[in-house]
Amino acid sequence: MTTARPFAARATLRLAALMALAVTVLSLAAMALQYRLVEARLMAAQQSLLTADLNGLAALYDQRRIIALRQAIDYRATAATGDEMLLLMDRNGQTLAGTRKDWPATLAPAGEGFTTDGAVEFTEDETRWLAVARALPGGFPLLVARSLQPVDDTLGALRRGMLGLLGALLVAGSAVGWLAARSVMARINRINTLADRVADGALDARLPGPRSDDEFGLLETHVHAMLDRIENLNRATHRLSDTIAHELRTPLNRMLQKLSKIEGQDDLTADLKAEMRQAIRMFDSLLDISRAEADQGTGGGLVPVDLSTVAAEVWDLYDPLAEDKGLQTEAHIAPGQQILGDRNLIAQVLSNLLDNAIKYCADGDHLTLTLTPEDDRILMRIADTGPGLPEDLKPEAFDRFTRAERDRATPGHGLGLALVRAIAARHGARLTLPPSEKGFALEIRWPRLQQSD
Amino acid sequence: MTAMDRILIIEDDPETAAAIRAEAEALGCATDHRDTLPSGIEAATSAQYNVIVLDRMLPGGDGVDAMARIRAGGSTALILILSALGRAANRVEGLEKGADDYLPKPFEPEELRARLRALLRRGTIQVLDNDLLAFGDVEIRLKARTVHVKRTHVPTSPKEFELLTYFARNAGQVVTRMQLLENVWNLHFDPGTNVVDVHVGRLRRKLEDAGATAIQTARGEGYIFAPLPA
Repeated sequence: MTTARPFAARATLRLAALMALAVTVLSLAAMALQYRLVEARLMAAQQSLLTADLNGLAALYDQRRIIALRQAIDYRATAATGDEMLLLMDRNGQTLAGTRKDWPATLAPAGEGFTTDGAVEFTEDETRWLAVARALPGGFPLLVARSLQPVDDTLGALRRGMLGLLGALLVAGSAVGWLAARSVMARINRINTLADRVADGALDARLPGPRSDDEFGLLETHVHAMLDRIENLNRATHRLSDTIAHELRTPLNRMLQKLSKIEGQDDLTADLKAEMRQAIRMFDSLLDISRAEADQGTGGGLVPVDLSTVAAEVWDLYDPLAEDKGLQTEAHIAPGQQILGDRNLIAQVLSNLLDNAIKYCADGDHLTLTLTPEDDRILMRIADTGPGLPEDLKPEAFDRFTRAERDRATPGHGLGLALVRAIAARHGARLTLPPSEKGFALEIRWPRLQQSD
Repeated sequence: MTAMDRILIIEDDPETAAAIRAEAEALGCATDHRDTLPSGIEAATSAQYNVIVLDRMLPGGDGVDAMARIRAGGSTALILILSALGRAANRVEGLEKGADDYLPKPFEPEELRARLRALLRRGTIQVLDNDLLAFGDVEIRLKARTVHVKRTHVPTSPKEFELLTYFARNAGQVVTRMQLLENVWNLHFDPGTNVVDVHVGRLRRKLEDAGATAIQTARGEGYIFAPLPA
């Protein structure tokens, strides 16, 4: 099995983040529009207040000129609210009446009408004012201004509110995104886990429980339909190979029977029989390979096997053959190493490897078999000092029908290592070709049988 | 082995059936042939046979599954499965489900003859509760696991002892390499190389060095254990 997946619903998170962002941006635009409207309306209100002030002063000026203005401004100044600024001066710069004593430095009188044309904003003591500064006929500077503080206060409150809302939107968006990603991931994980199990060979694995009536349920239904199809095809393939085995063996069988009836050409018939035996072996190996590959990961048919015993038995079977060929043989087999396996398949692996080694090694070469326990594995190593594997052949050494050019004359069909790999995979064993100075070395790490129960 | 030995052949391919019949008759047996599973079971349970040669993929089902019904029907015949399902896993399955021997197709006639002979013999000889197997100069003590030739102890490895015992139990008959691999090494696949020959050669030399010419090669077939009487 694969290790637990990290929480990685990046796609969902991205989508949720995008949506949260879109909502935030839209809200921001709406709020900005509203802000502008409120600002314009408030400014207009201040402007109309200023206009009213000016209109009143204009009426007084029409009646009694400066005197009336001075009286009215005095009166207004005593009842000042702080929201308005009035100042009337004489031609010498003396203050006649007003809410303040001196003329603001940043402002210059301009024009002489009582209109709001040319109204200007100026800032004094961090307060903004909307002001009309005039020089009345005869050189009397007049300042009429309205504070913009209420406008700024309102807009400030509005800005604070908007900022808070923005924060809340972002938090809510992230929370919704995280929740959505989590729930999507939980449901997708079910399917991922199923896919992992199937990839590991459990073709009959299915999701338990009822399927929900949504897109995930539909996906599960489709995945199940797909798996059913694969499983059926797989079963059909098994049936087909069995059928082929049967159908091809029958004619081969008849050939063998007829071969036995030939008399007087013993050498030729013996050769033919050997050839046919070779063809049948090749055929069996191919079937064994496809069956081992098909059964990979299912664990079915595997029972506790003492790997040490099997290794020793097969070693004892081949050791005399190696000795007769003049090889220096050595076996170090740690006793009692248990795995979950198929005795005949394991024996086939060893038989293939030892047979290869003996076939390719020459007088004086060394051949060693070691079986040593590792953490949760059992390391089986077969090494010889023979000609080894040509470097260019290594990547495909375990493919079917791979044979070195130089070995064309040696009998064999190039299925041995392919079968070794298929059987190793069937047992969940890891196969490696460690670099060796001379000759061929192969390591198989078998998973140790868990003794817990 | 008597002339009255009866062999039932349950096999749907007529040519194979004819080949089996030829081998069986060469061994002096009477044969019956059925070509479907139901008729085969019917025959097996209604008459007494020494050996049943049973195919697997038959019209009407798998021979391996039929063995229980044949046994339940009261047959004491030894069953030789002869099947195209010849991979090691198939053979082990067949043997575990109660077959007495399992020969994959395609088979060589000599192999079938050796198997049939071994089965026929097994059906007639008494169970070996005797500790001593003696063939001329060769004496095998089963409990002590020792071999003596002309009263001289011949040291053997455990496998050599098992090999010799298997030969002794099939004395006088051709024993094939495949039979030796299956029965002595319990390996149900063809290793391609005649690894068995080396072992037989060593055992033969040991016996010959001690003065007993006990194992002969049957050309193209296997070996015969036939110690010459002293």
